[in-house]
Amino acid sequence: MKKRVQLIIALLLLLTILTASAQDSPYQKAMKKEIAKLIESDSLPVLQQSANAFGRIAELNPNEWLPAYYQVLAYTFQGLDKSLSLDKKDELLAKADELAQKADALSKNNAEIVALQGFVLMAKLNADAASRGQSLSGPVLQTFGKARAMDPKNPRALALTAQMEYGMAQFFGSGTEKACGYAKESVAIFASQDEEALKTAMLPTWGKSLAEKMARSCP
Amino acid sequence: MKIFLTILLFHITYCGITQTSISGRITDQKGHALPGASIYIKGTYDGTSSDAAGNFKVQIDASGSQTLNVQAVGFKSQEVAMDLKGQPLTVDIILSEAINQLNAVTISAGAMEAGDEKKSVVLKPLDIVTTSGAMGNITAALLTLPGTSTVGNDGRLFVRGGDASETAIFIDGLQVGNAFGSTTSNVPTRARFSPNLFKGSFFSTGGYSAEYGQALSSALALNTLDLPLRNQGDVSVMSLGGGYTQTLVKNDHAITASANYYNLAPYQSLVKQNFDWEKAPSSWDSEVSLRQKWGNAGTGKAGFIKAYFHTEGSRMAIWQKLPGIDGRGDRVKLNNHYNYGNVSFRHSGNKGWLFYGGAALSDNRDAIQFNADDIKQVNRIFHSKIVAVRDFSSQFSMKNGLEYYAKSYAETLLDQNQTRQFADNLFNHFIEATYYFSNRLIMVGGLRSGHSSLAKQTWLTPRFSVAYKLNNQGQFSFAAGKFKQLAEEKLRIFQTDLKNAAATHYILNYFIVNNNRTFRAEAFYKNYEKLVTYNGLPSAPKNVALNGSGYARGVDFFLRDKKTIKDTDFWITYSFVDSKRKFAAYETKVQPTFAPKHNGSVVVKHFVTAMKSLVGTSWSWNSGYTYNDPNLPGEMQRKTKAYSDLSFSISYLPKPNVILHVACSNVLGRQNVYGYQYATQPDEEGSYAGKPVGQGAKRFLFAGLFITLSKDKKANQLNNL
Repeated sequence: MKKRVQLIIALLLLLTILTASAQDSPYQKAMKKEIAKLIESDSLPVLQQSANAFGRIAELNPNEWLPAYYQVLAYTFQGLDKSLSLDKKDELLAKADELAQKADALSKNNAEIVALQGFVLMAKLNADAASRGQSLSGPVLQTFGKARAMDPKNPRALALTAQMEYGMAQFFGSGTEKACGYAKESVAIFASQDEEALKTAMLPTWGKSLAEKMARSCP
Repeated sequence: MKIFLTILLFHITYCGITQTSISGRITDQKGHALPGASIYIKGTYDGTSSDAAGNFKVQIDASGSQTLNVQAVGFKSQEVAMDLKGQPLTVDIILSEAINQLNAVTISAGAMEAGDEKKSVVLKPLDIVTTSGAMGNITAALLTLPGTSTVGNDGRLFVRGGDASETAIFIDGLQVGNAFGSTTSNVPTRARFSPNLFKGSFFSTGGYSAEYGQALSSALALNTLDLPLRNQGDVSVMSLGGGYTQTLVKNDHAITASANYYNLAPYQSLVKQNFDWEKAPSSWDSEVSLRQKWGNAGTGKAGFIKAYFHTEGSRMAIWQKLPGIDGRGDRVKLNNHYNYGNVSFRHSGNKGWLFYGGAALSDNRDAIQFNADDIKQVNRIFHSKIVAVRDFSSQFSMKNGLEYYAKSYAETLLDQNQTRQFADNLFNHFIEATYYFSNRLIMVGGLRSGHSSLAKQTWLTPRFSVAYKLNNQGQFSFAAGKFKQLAEEKLRIFQTDLKNAAATHYILNYFIVNNNRTFRAEAFYKNYEKLVTYNGLPSAPKNVALNGSGYARGVDFFLRDKKTIKDTDFWITYSFVDSKRKFAAYETKVQPTFAPKHNGSVVVKHFVTAMKSLVGTSWSWNSGYTYNDPNLPGEMQRKTKAYSDLSFSISYLPKPNVILHVACSNVLGRQNVYGYQYATQPDEEGSYAGKPVGQGAKRFLFAGLFITLSKDKKANQLNNL
């Protein structure tokens, strides 16, 4: 009898250990590890490693949009790096664009993906603002507008709109009230969000510091 | 029991440590290290990235026979089969470069592209409309590019010693008949189509693709916009008239409708005119454009269908003084009615297939009153086309197309109730293969065949081009080809079985874009055979035949710089053309009046942020037009003084959605002369009286206010200027 109790306890123990580790599938484990790395990455090689890692995860999980989403992000962050040549930036952003279309096909009408597509477009504009500003600023604002229409409370769509509007207002020498409105709204939404819950669900959390920076530059 | 558990737990941990270590180095074909490549075992999460020296080292949990996959941006991915048994493995992998259409070499010989997407463009679409002096006329902006000559009393496109009819114009791949407004002799015309319809253009001054034909010199392909960005209304109030355009967009479809009215009478009553107008030119136009998109580019299958309809009417009456004769001269009254409709589609399917095509109909009706004679001319061109393109790999693609044209022309002398007319059916097939040897070397070969039922002629024209990119981003390209064209309808009507005139082009080009600077140099040789000749006046030609021939050769240069001067964009063009041809009524080879030897232009655009204004100026110059003086022996013995025009414009944006645009041509008020017109009969002293052919007015001043109404207050009409 005693032995049997011991055995049951042992089996229960084993089961707990197994379930505890099974709570996170290998996909989730890999994703969480790479998302944490991506958020802290601060150099081009690290961003490329991150893009590669998400690429591997995407290949094993072809129906998930999140790996492609983060891969796009890793390429777009690289495309914004000032040290790169225009050709290199365009090459990275073309890759980002291609993957963003893939993500969009996997998850239709997803405000996060549309906001990200706008972000890629904005990076393309930044790569050669003098000659692309006029033709791309419209599409960038329109894409962010589309994302906000899908989810008016998406803090990234709001923060990015704020940044774009701020730049345009400076160019035309007009007021920054509109840009600042978006920035403040974004900051407020970021503050009210449960970041841990989002992280558990592997959903995007980036953009808070951008929103705060934009809000600080406002009167 | 304890032992059992220990064994169990031990076994679990033990499983985790059968690892194989793989290390190695990733390089390109030249042995340069490739950092940031992704290395992983297929079907697992095991993987790593190469470091700055191209080296990698990774511990693999999987065992047995596995596939190692290596990927890097810009390179073809590679797979290596390996057996993992726990012993460390070393693999060095060489990746070969992938063809990257974004940075790869392009054929730039003869080609000048305006677009937002590609790199090898000379202009952005917006540049065309913000060029000072262009006054919203596409062709006027193209005349600031190399290879063109300004012919101020005509207004159409003259390319490298070719006359205006040698340039064919296409919208979304379909030919446009009578693309320029109808006019009378020596009164310049302009393109009928507004520049804000187009997202890009491809202007070829020679050696163009087998996709285009029936043009001895040049092809201008205009591509219309895809989906507009937003719902908006555009109001324009101009010194010459006004218009309204409404755009409605929803998801994957859009409709745009516009109406405009222009009348030069009020302006001409204020500003002194050199021409003797009885009725100043006035016109109206209206267009509707429909667009529908389908599919998703991310999943492969996607497409677009566009329909575009344009209708316009114009009228004018002018007295044209005759040299050596008193009085007002000939009275010419012209009423024009023009319709153009075009339906085109584009569909990209799986496995690298792309299909496009469509159908277009141009219908031009001119009612001319020449003194007492009433003449009616109807010109109609129907064009349909279907093209299939297949990318067999990223290196090799093949284009195959079929075309059918129905062309008809009729001329009626209303008083005498006489009509003459012709109708022609043309069939064309073209095939073109493109092969990238690498990102540096591309070769394109094409063959175009055609048959005309009226000329009873079948022909075959080969085209070839090759381009090579150097280390410094510069590239050389060479193009050659044969081009055929049937005579203009106004001459063909006199001899309907005329066969094709022919031209052969050879073009060598150097092109470099670097750091917001563009430089382009091109040398060309063009040989003409079987040009149309006749005796007598062009209005009543006799013995129309193909007995002419000639050549045009030269070099041109283009330099554009957006970098050196802050907020300033400028370009400088110089073209040298040496052309001689026997054509029209000339008995010997002469330098045509439309081919001045030296041509140049300078365009400057400067954005003044403090004034919220775009200030622009452009200067266009040539060394003078040849003309024939019947008082001298020989032909085309004389040349006018140099032509020069300095234009100025300013666009002021008080608010992002309001633009005030003011432009003035020939600011310096130079009296340009385009040639001389002589009496057909000598006077009593035996000399022919002459009279200069000049400008309609010393200057042309334009002012317009453009307002865009939309939810997005920043949208504006900069595209319309």
